[in-house]
This record gives sequence, structure tokens and C-alpha cells, in this order.
Amino acid sequence: MNDNSFYQVYFNCKLETKEEVHNFISNIVCQNNSSIKEEIVNQLIRREEAGSTLIAEHVMLPHIESDHVKKSQIIFIRLAKPIVTWDYQIEDICLLIVLLLKRNESEEIKKKISLFTRTLADEEYLNRLLNSKERYNFEQEIITI
Amino acid sequence: MNIVGIAACTVGIAHTYIAQEKLENAAKKAGHEIAIETQGTIGTENELTAEQIADAHVVILAIDVKISNRERFEGKRIIEVPTEVAVKSPNKLIEKVEKIFEQSNQEREGK
Repeated sequence: MNDNSFYQVYFNCKLETKEEVHNFISNIVCQNNSSIKEEIVNQLIRREEAGSTLIAEHVMLPHIESDHVKKSQIIFIRLAKPIVTWDYQIEDICLLIVLLLKRNESEEIKKKISLFTRTLADEEYLNRLLNSKERYNFEQEIITI
Repeated sequence: MNIVGIAACTVGIAHTYIAQEKLENAAKKAGHEIAIETQGTIGTENELTAEQIADAHVVILAIDVKISNRERFEGKRIIEVPTEVAVKSPNKLIEKVEKIFEQSNQEREGK
């Protein structure tokens, strides 16, 4: 995978709960301001309340559009160990693909992200990501647009 | 069967486009014609034509939000589901659409 900051990979991430994942994402958006971090976490929670972001077995797609996102990004979080209980309905999460969309993002970037999300409809692709045990292989599998 | 539909989710960047892909793939696999319009953060893409709507036997609305121009489907057989249904179980959804279509045809023939 090219060194392209639009795509970020966190491999073998030691996150054990939904809350830890949300905090991790909020830290990516903003490291210093606790009220912004809280807002990001609340946005992620509200999105999940509106409808599950589980897109395939073991794979979740948390996503938000926010004024606090300075640069739109696609972030892959491959967990070191599955999160056995995400909530009362969802279990055994191994991979999170996070979409961070900057408010009033350009048409070009939005189109790029929408083309990327279409690729996630392919379950074989997701399975290849899930089955990649090494960081290098995982990054090689990622389809960049 | 001719199917048209709309996919639209809350943020308009994720489920909208996965739902479109999955519905199109599932319907084509089952031997149907399908066209799905997306109403996402980019705006409307793959906009349905009046002809496509007129020829459609069923309309699938995979939506989490209010959509634009819903009145185009007035008088059509509409199946409305949240986007997550189209994302998680597209094949089952198409099977359900087939059953509804068959049932309503039988009812019509029985009249």
C-alpha cells in the first residue's frame, strides 16, 4: 500500500470494547480537546442508534460527518483480538473500517469515498481482509480508489 | 421482474452505496432487471427515468431518511426497509420481494 494518508491502517490494535474503539477514533480526530472528543464519541453512538453499522459478519463501518474532522479519511482498524460483545446484538468484531468525513467536503473526495464504500459490498473482499494475518498482506489487500 | 429503488442513509456516505451494490448484485443473481438510485451526500446519482419507473413491477426503498421525489412511485407496489436490511440480507430481501410479487399476481388473477 502506498504511503497515502487518505487511508490509514492500525493493525493488531489492542482495543477490547466498543467504548475503547470510540475513544480511539475520537483520538484520531482530535488529541487535545476533550469536549470535541466527547462530541465525536456521541456522534458515533448516535449513528449506531440510528441503525447498525455492522456490514458483514465481524466487520463494522462506523462513520461520521463532522466540523471537527479536518481531513476526510478512511481508517482500517484490525483488532488484535475480536471484541466478543460489541453490544447486546452484535458480537465477535474483528475489523472496523471507519469513515471520517469532513463537513462540506469537496465533491471529488465524496465521490472517492462513495466508490470506496461500494467495494465493501463484496463479502469476498472483506473475507480476504479478515483472513490477512500479517500487516503487509492486509495492506496489500486494501482496494484504494 | 423489473425492480427499481432508492438507497439513502443518514450520513449518506456509507450504507447508501453498499445497499445499492448489494441490491443490484442480489437481484441480478436472481435473474431480475434492477436500477437503484442513490440519494447520498453527493446528491442524486443513477437517477431513475420515468420509463424505468413505469416498467417496474416493484419499488424497493432502502432508506433511513426522507427521500426526494417519492411521489414518482405513486400507485406502484412499494417495499420499504431500512438500509441495514439491504446491506445485511440482500438475497433474503429479493426473495421476499419475489414472494410479494407472486402473491399479488395470484390475487389479481383470482379476482
